[in-house]
Amino acid sequence: MSFKLSLAVLSTVLVLPLSAGATGVHTCEATNKADWMSKADLTTKLESEGWSVRFMKEDGGCWEVYGTTPEGERVEGYFHPVTGAPELIGQRGRVLFKAGSDD
Amino acid sequence: MFRNLLLHRFFIWAVLALPSIPMTATLLSGTTGPDGMPMTQMLLHPTGEFSARFLIIAMMLTPLRMLFPSSGFVRWLIKRRRYIGMAAFFYALLHTLLYLVDMGSLRAILGEFLALGIWTGWLAMVIFVPLAVTSTDGAVRRLGPRWKTLQRFVYIAAAATLVHWIFVHNNLGPALVHFLPLATLETYRAFQFLQKRNRNPQET
Repeated sequence: MSFKLSLAVLSTVLVLPLSAGATGVHTCEATNKADWMSKADLTTKLESEGWSVRFMKEDGGCWEVYGTTPEGERVEGYFHPVTGAPELIGQRGRVLFKAGSDD
Repeated sequence: MFRNLLLHRFFIWAVLALPSIPMTATLLSGTTGPDGMPMTQMLLHPTGEFSARFLIIAMMLTPLRMLFPSSGFVRWLIKRRRYIGMAAFFYALLHTLLYLVDMGSLRAILGEFLALGIWTGWLAMVIFVPLAVTSTDGAVRRLGPRWKTLQRFVYIAAAATLVHWIFVHNNLGPALVHFLPLATLETYRAFQFLQKRNRNPQET
């Protein structure tokens, strides 16, 4: 009995947390997918501004870009998928920049 | 035959090393993850997670033994606790190495060092080193009663790991799910300790 119980406690620790999925960190306004900048276009735009881009994926209706800022900070940035404007730049959970946070 | 296999220390080593097989295979495959995520970044999460899991299991064993004193399984694990701790250390080491390679520049590493989710990870890793180094039979003998005092620093490392996980992941859920069983057991242990202390004065 106690053997089974202890086994149950341990397996709970091991098996339960297999979660991933949408992050919900930031959401961009609803846009028409046809109007989106391509990955290559956004990369070119950011690189011309001094960024380096490692990769990007779609998250919360934005382009979520993993890369390095012109200042050399490794960040995760949420960009408007149509204009390519930065909306939220985060670094390991801390916010470095948030668009419109001063209006 | 099966019993001998279970008792052999290679058995627990093999079990503890099991998660590293897909990790190594992934790393050696040289491919990238979904959306072109580099493998070094892909593997950061599983390596850290398994380190935390083994850390938590190693720490759960004492309160588990209090709850289930007759459990052979808990006793079997307690005899192998230092191996579990070493596994936690090696996965953390792999995690740290992957992080360094993934970051790729000292500037980027220092640039985020002061983020709460980052320095807590470093703190845990720094604590793990002396704990791992003193995990040999020889070190246990040499240090005597001081060994236990030293190993208690694992509580600080565990707290730092929890904060590291929550903030680096920007998500409370998975970290709490992992640490909740340990926190519950530690609460039970503290409760038992206080009860015993309250009882003892009456006995004497």
